[in-house]
Amino acid sequence: MSDFSVRSDNVDVEQIMRQIRARIREKRGVDYTEEEIRELANVKLEKFIDPKGVRSNLLEEYRRVSTPEPAAPNYAFGEDTLYETHRAPIRWLRSLLRPFLKLLFNPNPLIQALHIQSELNQKAAERNARREQLDALHYEVIHNLVVELTRTGIEVNSLKMRLESMASRLDFDERRARALEGVVQYRPGAVPPLQPPTGHDQSRRHDGRRDQGPRDQGQRGPRPPQGPSPQGPGIQGPRDQGPGGNALDNEGNERRARRRRRRGRRRPGEERGGELRPAFAGGESNASFGDQGTAQSSVPANDQTQDRPSTLDTSASAEATADRRPSMADSSEAPAQPTPSAGEPPTE
Amino acid sequence: MKLAVVVQRYGADVNGGAELHARYIAERLSRHASVEVVTTCARDYVTWKNELPAGVETVNGVTVRRFPVRRERNPDDFGRRSQRVFERTHSVADELGWLESEGPSSPALVDYVEKTAKDVDFVILFSYRYYHSWHLARRVPEKAVLVPTAERDATIGLSIFGPVFRAVRALMYNSPEERAMIQAASGNASVPGVVVGVGSDVPERPDPERFRRKFKMRRPFAIYIGRIDENKGCGELFSHFQRYAHAFPRGMDLVLVGSAIMSVPKHPRIHHLGFLDDRDKFDALAASDLLIMPSYFESLSMVALEAWGLGRPVLANGRCDVLKGQCIRSNAGLYYENYEEFVEALYSLESNGPLNARLGRNGKEFFKRHYAWPVIEQKYLDMFAQLKKDLPPEGASYKGERGYTGERVASGFRRKAVEPLPGFFARRKRNLPPSEDILATIPSGAVVDLPYRVGRQSA
Repeated sequence: MSDFSVRSDNVDVEQIMRQIRARIREKRGVDYTEEEIRELANVKLEKFIDPKGVRSNLLEEYRRVSTPEPAAPNYAFGEDTLYETHRAPIRWLRSLLRPFLKLLFNPNPLIQALHIQSELNQKAAERNARREQLDALHYEVIHNLVVELTRTGIEVNSLKMRLESMASRLDFDERRARALEGVVQYRPGAVPPLQPPTGHDQSRRHDGRRDQGPRDQGQRGPRPPQGPSPQGPGIQGPRDQGPGGNALDNEGNERRARRRRRRGRRRPGEERGGELRPAFAGGESNASFGDQGTAQSSVPANDQTQDRPSTLDTSASAEATADRRPSMADSSEAPAQPTPSAGEPPTE
Repeated sequence: MKLAVVVQRYGADVNGGAELHARYIAERLSRHASVEVVTTCARDYVTWKNELPAGVETVNGVTVRRFPVRRERNPDDFGRRSQRVFERTHSVADELGWLESEGPSSPALVDYVEKTAKDVDFVILFSYRYYHSWHLARRVPEKAVLVPTAERDATIGLSIFGPVFRAVRALMYNSPEERAMIQAASGNASVPGVVVGVGSDVPERPDPERFRRKFKMRRPFAIYIGRIDENKGCGELFSHFQRYAHAFPRGMDLVLVGSAIMSVPKHPRIHHLGFLDDRDKFDALAASDLLIMPSYFESLSMVALEAWGLGRPVLANGRCDVLKGQCIRSNAGLYYENYEEFVEALYSLESNGPLNARLGRNGKEFFKRHYAWPVIEQKYLDMFAQLKKDLPPEGASYKGERGYTGERVASGFRRKAVEPLPGFFARRKRNLPPSEDILATIPSGAVVDLPYRVGRQSA
């Protein structure tokens, strides 16, 4: 809610109320003005509901209830009803003889009883009338609910479609960005930028190239023999090196050898490792996403392609290029520094 | 100057709107004139049961003379008669029967005032709708100054009150809306009248911290003061506030002051404190952020005036013409007609400090300009002086004749002509439309175009 700007001497209650009402109108939405709401409330249910869609006999019930019934007859009974007549002389005579009548019996209880009964009749009639009005209100409420539900359903469908469309666009844009990054040619000796995670399992996806770091090494096998100097900065990989990164690059041979050793150790236990390559080389687009990488890697690339159609056909070649980038990082055959040969131009 | 104030109930512990109004006026005018209050022995406005002793006593320095009520009200009979005159075609006799049934019928009171009227300068009658006002306005019209305290209900459409409004010497209205309504209903624009209202003894320096300490109120709150009654709009207030509290979990609380004749919802942010004395009440008002007035029918909201007197804005029910008009004229309060407006207006007053403060200042100015006691007293004194100066001509008087009701009228002083009642048969002819139909034809709405409107500037 926005506030009103009030200067020291300027305040007009009527104007503030106009602003409040305008704000309420805004909140209600542009598609529902007062007139439209009134119009909606007056529109009959039949105009909106498709009777085929309503599985119960709701409509018939409402139609039956809404038929007006004639009001039950009633009478008004006051103090003078017993003695009333349109003939003045008789009325006069009755009023004259009323004391004598009261000598014979007491009409007051009778009058009171009939009056109470008359009131009860009237109250019952009023209650019936109110009930009928309530029925009409229920009719309107259900009608409005149906309208609102229909509208909400349409809006939900529309929002779903928009969400899907936006997700597809985002997906395509991400792949395209990766593809474009893949064709960048780096000068020899330059540090390649870190690539977005597309790893084959969850830990790799989050750690990026940290699989070269001491943690992974420690977990996966004995650390290879290191130099006498503390290995910290060099072992933590280029991401954590900062200025020291170039020093490592100068020791590229040592690092490559270390990778080879590690892969050599891993290969006997990881039967799928060698099969990953053909899958990537085959250009399977979905292989680069999330946890599916490992599972898909056990299936031949051709089978994967058949079983998992790409969402966007136009992005298939770009995905293929994009998926090569992380694979190069993990491949023992691939050089540490991407070469221009890796940048086969993606076709979009 | 000698004045007689006639009201249906009177007492230091009688807190009805018109009765409190009458007590304030009597006590204030007693500083300028000799005032005698003439009232009944009733304390309960539903039954008019004689609970107080008849005779003379002194209440806060004012002489009070009490007369017994002839018979208590029979609610069934009154309801039946009300239904007839309000909802059906009826006769003048029906209306007179309704008046008698409504009470408090005290012929002794009426006779006493009529007899002593020659010794007083003016007879101030409170509440047009009761037995004493109707009879005394017809018996001593030349001395009668009527404070109608009229609300927009079906009673104003009864035909027997039109001659009363036209017969009295002057009317002291509570609000411009009341004046417009009565003038539209009775065509009494030629009768002298002034919008006066009533003042209040608002303390100069209330102690809000004392209230917060005493009642352990730490959070900001809005306050409602008055009878907690469905007829006062409290049901709607509770409904709106509970929705508001749900929508704004960190919003302000609601404090209720007054006796409850309906159930107060149990809600952690609704605090019912019961009836408070004046000191606590004013401290509570000063501690509050705003006053909420949810009533649909008011002729004058004294508590709203008190809130303005303490510089607190008011959030009023916009369906009450009087409250809405007061908010607009004073530029000291907002109003609502549905939940959306209630929550928006309440949030605006809660969150916008400058707006709240400016409305409060406007209210204080409005109260000081129109409802401070010196202003109220001066308006009464000016009206009395004008009436004394403009005595009706001798030719317009008639003495010793039989009056409207067939009872003897006092002789010995000049008497303003009163429209006579219809004859015996015509009085019983049922040809008057239901008063609710009459009420529907009377224009409604707030009166806003007045010269004394406060702070009318463009925002």
